[in-house]
Amino acid sequence: MAALLRLRPATSPQALARRDALLGLLLIAPTVLILSAVIAYPLATTAYLSLHNVYTPTLATEWAGLSNYRAILSGGTFWHALATTLVWTIGTLALQLLFGVAMALLLNRNIRLRALARSLVLFPYFLATVVAVLVWRWLLNGLFGVVDHALIALGLIDTPVDWLGTMPNAMATTIVIGAWKFFPFVVIAVLARLQTVPAHLYEAARLDGAGSWARFTDITLPHLSGVLGLVALLRMIWDFREFDLIYLLTGGGPLDHTRTLPLVVYQQAFGLNQMGMAAAYAVLMMLLVLAMTIPYLARARGRR
Amino acid sequence: MSGARPAWRAAALTALTWVLVLLTTFPLLWMLLTSLKPQTELFALPPTFLPESISFAPYLRLLFDTPFPRYFANSIVLATATTLLVVAIGAIGAHSLLRFSYRGREALATLVLATYLLPSVVLIVPLYLMMVEIGLANRLASLIIAYTSFALPYALWLLRSFMAAIPEEMEAAARVDGASRIGAFVDIILPQALPGIGATALFTFILAWNDYLYALVLVNTDTARPLTTGVVTMFVTTFNVEWSMLMAASVLMSIPPIILFTFFHHQLSRSIGAAGVRS
Repeated sequence: MAALLRLRPATSPQALARRDALLGLLLIAPTVLILSAVIAYPLATTAYLSLHNVYTPTLATEWAGLSNYRAILSGGTFWHALATTLVWTIGTLALQLLFGVAMALLLNRNIRLRALARSLVLFPYFLATVVAVLVWRWLLNGLFGVVDHALIALGLIDTPVDWLGTMPNAMATTIVIGAWKFFPFVVIAVLARLQTVPAHLYEAARLDGAGSWARFTDITLPHLSGVLGLVALLRMIWDFREFDLIYLLTGGGPLDHTRTLPLVVYQQAFGLNQMGMAAAYAVLMMLLVLAMTIPYLARARGRR
Repeated sequence: MSGARPAWRAAALTALTWVLVLLTTFPLLWMLLTSLKPQTELFALPPTFLPESISFAPYLRLLFDTPFPRYFANSIVLATATTLLVVAIGAIGAHSLLRFSYRGREALATLVLATYLLPSVVLIVPLYLMMVEIGLANRLASLIIAYTSFALPYALWLLRSFMAAIPEEMEAAARVDGASRIGAFVDIILPQALPGIGATALFTFILAWNDYLYALVLVNTDTARPLTTGVVTMFVTTFNVEWSMLMAASVLMSIPPIILFTFFHHQLSRSIGAAGVRS
């Protein structure tokens, strides 16, 4: 009996491993549960709804087949909104990257009160979009806005500008405010990367007689290319799906000149009471985002 | 000669940096200054820079004559509950994804990351329907559930990257000393992952505090309205927009994120760096 016990330990390695795996699954279960309930299930519902006509107030639902998609792809709204979304995304992304990299390079130098400057620059990113929009609406106020007065005082304009009520002003203003709100993300990521560039590379280049521009293109840029690619991709996806800023700033106007795809989804569902159409727009939007996500996931997988 | 030019250039670049930093923060400074001006001074032409007379009347009106305090309390409850949930679920989930082996683990990790990039507007219609169905629409709980699921993927990713830096031997040593897996997690991993937990908490709190879209769709009663939609409601429903009061609301609304930011910004910079550089 004693010999038998010695031969067969109470818990075999396999049993231990199985118990271990079970505990692992138990620990991830809440995550899986909540992501299934709040993301996977609604996603499936979106696909289902996109094949139906749903009237929002009564939620009366009837089968519609692919007619929602046909209507969307043959109508003008989708293509116009897609073009608007691309203009907004590319415009604001370009400014974010340009200003973000420039600011990171400046803040990477030894300047007075560097820590304070670095913190101050991040503020727009952490404050609520609602706050950002209210402040900018006040800054751009047609009668008492400080921006118009400053520009008039500088002699750049003669009369106050209608920043949000006409085109192309509304789009340009939205793009610039978006860049102001989101460029700190680029600053943080680029600054973090800059600090890992070995200083001796710059010393060596300096001894070889390389000027500051040559040092930037030969040393800094190659080191930044990885992080810039990733940051650009992330910001592109986030700008593409941005709702709060545009909705609060222009509401899509004037007319529909700044109505991007996320605003169209919202408008269809809660303005026009067409939940099926909204779902179909959402599915198309998701496919577009998915296409942008694939390189990101491939890259994340490659790095692990 | 050779020494003079770099010194001159360094000074110019420092000045340029500070001009750009101050331009970036000017809108927020203007918000603060406006909130301290009496309503009549706002209409001065040209605008005054510093308030000629400092007035706290906008703040007092806001706190005693409007539903602002209730919105504020709602937002505090909402953001705190979301943060606690996300940190708890995220910490054990990240531990599972990192230190346990079971089939489908890597696929799950990638899938979780993918959900982070999902446009939130895509889920708005079915989530609205779901919340109406289970009777949570117009309640804070609906927003807590929604924000928890939006913050969870990034939280998992963040915590995982922080926990991966903890040497596996530390946990093994505790196990040899007789600690259970859960015991080793609580005593060894959690304290080591504290900076990551701080960053996760800050990120989650700010996400829940700042969101507008879901608050707009899921909650339509004053009793459960958070600050974002509440302040906008005050903005659009008043006939004469009181800018001093709105700027005061904006200032008060910005205080919690700024306090958290001041305490945790080192971790946060690291974590955004982690998102951009490491993951």
